[in-house]
Amino acid sequence: ICVMLVIICLLVAYITENIMSPTTQHTKRGFDVRSFGTGSHVKLPGPAPDKPNVYDFKTTYVQMYNDLVRKDKELYTQNGILHMLDRNKRIKSKPERFQNCKDKFDLVITCEERVYDQVLEDLNSREQETLQPVHVINVDIQDNHEEATLGAFLICELCQCIQHTDDMENEIDELLQEFEDKSNRPFLHTVCFY
Amino acid sequence: MEVSSDEGEIQTPSVIDMTTSEKVVDLLNQAALIPTDEKLTALKQVQELITNKDPSLLDNFLDEIIAFQTDKSIEVRKFVIGFIEEACKRDNELLLRLIANLNMLLRDESVNVVKKAILTLTQLYKVTLQWLVRSKVVSERQEACWDLVTQMKGDVLALLDSENDGVRTHAIKFTESLIITLSARTSDSDIPKRQEGDISLDKVPKDHSYIRYDVLCEEGKAALEKLLKFMVHPAISSINLTTALGSLATIARQRPMFMSEVVQAYETLHANLPPTLAKSQVSSVRKNLKLHLVAVLKHPCSLEFQGQIGTLLLDLGMPQSEITRSTPAPREQRKRPR
Repeated sequence: ICVMLVIICLLVAYITENIMSPTTQHTKRGFDVRSFGTGSHVKLPGPAPDKPNVYDFKTTYVQMYNDLVRKDKELYTQNGILHMLDRNKRIKSKPERFQNCKDKFDLVITCEERVYDQVLEDLNSREQETLQPVHVINVDIQDNHEEATLGAFLICELCQCIQHTDDMENEIDELLQEFEDKSNRPFLHTVCFY
Repeated sequence: MEVSSDEGEIQTPSVIDMTTSEKVVDLLNQAALIPTDEKLTALKQVQELITNKDPSLLDNFLDEIIAFQTDKSIEVRKFVIGFIEEACKRDNELLLRLIANLNMLLRDESVNVVKKAILTLTQLYKVTLQWLVRSKVVSERQEACWDLVTQMKGDVLALLDSENDGVRTHAIKFTESLIITLSARTSDSDIPKRQEGDISLDKVPKDHSYIRYDVLCEEGKAALEKLLKFMVHPAISSINLTTALGSLATIARQRPMFMSEVVQAYETLHANLPPTLAKSQVSSVRKNLKLHLVAVLKHPCSLEFQGQIGTLLLDLGMPQSEITRSTPAPREQRKRPR
């Protein structure tokens, strides 16, 4: 099977890189992964929690990188943001907004309930056309490096298991239950239709 | 013979000289011999050429493409289904030839092929009905075509009891579409732009020579009953419950005459969630129920159900202020009839 994934969270680099890296098996098996944002802007951590760096979706990763180097190279090197942007720009030139994407996916994975709600709202607001199903799964992952790394492993493993199913739709329920028990995290799961 | 792209350029003049028909023959010949990925690319090119570039060729090459319905690749068989849909939408007469092929693919050994066939039947059921309603004289072949479509409709409804969860999900969506087609659109119907031109019961003449209005009406009602019964099955999966909840919201908005049944079903479900659901599945279902209740509440015809819906939403944790915001004001025209 060829499964498309949309992974949405701020520190998405770990996850996408792990799944999208050409050296991993998933890609060879036809896994097509794309990452998206759902907010009105792209927000990156700033000097304080209430002072994020905000960009619109037209800004390229290179522009963000240069902007942060100019603002405080040491801070953004230390907290890993420059490293993340550097990896992101190798995957694509700039972030994409999920709501503006008209491509069809089989599976959407989000890493925060608020984002899951936004995805559901967007998918349900679209006019149904082909009735092709898209499964949406939320795995709560805190937006920091440590959690992102753990979350990346969890999501990669989940994707790998899904990839190995003969019939995703028939097996996904059971698979998610197993992952829930194993990871001790609740998974939200629903289906929408294109 | 394989040529690199550079060498290919030298040969370009002959490629340009090829007629569309020759190109199609060439692609079809290649498609018979190459691996699946390339085969799909070639077949998609053929489809583009004969459905868009030169539709007069569609008829000529139909059999050659349909022959791929027995290909060993699931993706190729799914392509054939997509082709059947496109071809029949473009030229309704082709339904006479292709509906039997779709019927075969509906019984394919691969569930992924069956699911694709259900999606296509969902579209072609409407197309066939519209085509027959528009035909002044219905031929015997058209009658046979409609009989087969009706039989296939029954087969897919029976798939609500399939052992496969994904097949059941697809059968629910088919049922949703069927209920909407086989009931009358009214001035209160909330119709998505894309479906404005779709056939519905109100467009079926009561004196049609072959299609029986009353029979269709009864079939639509029976389908709704079947869906409602499906929903209260104690072992229903959370995904199919979610799908059915969404279908009911769509039905209530497009066919407000069924709103009472829909709200009743939501109430029953809320009070009796299936015992088989895990804790996180309960959260997922409740979140969906909230979403769909709000969608129904926002419809102007929700007036007499606003109390029931409001109570459910409060139970599901929605603040009263938010409920009030989603409640439409009673319509002016009801207050002051002209």
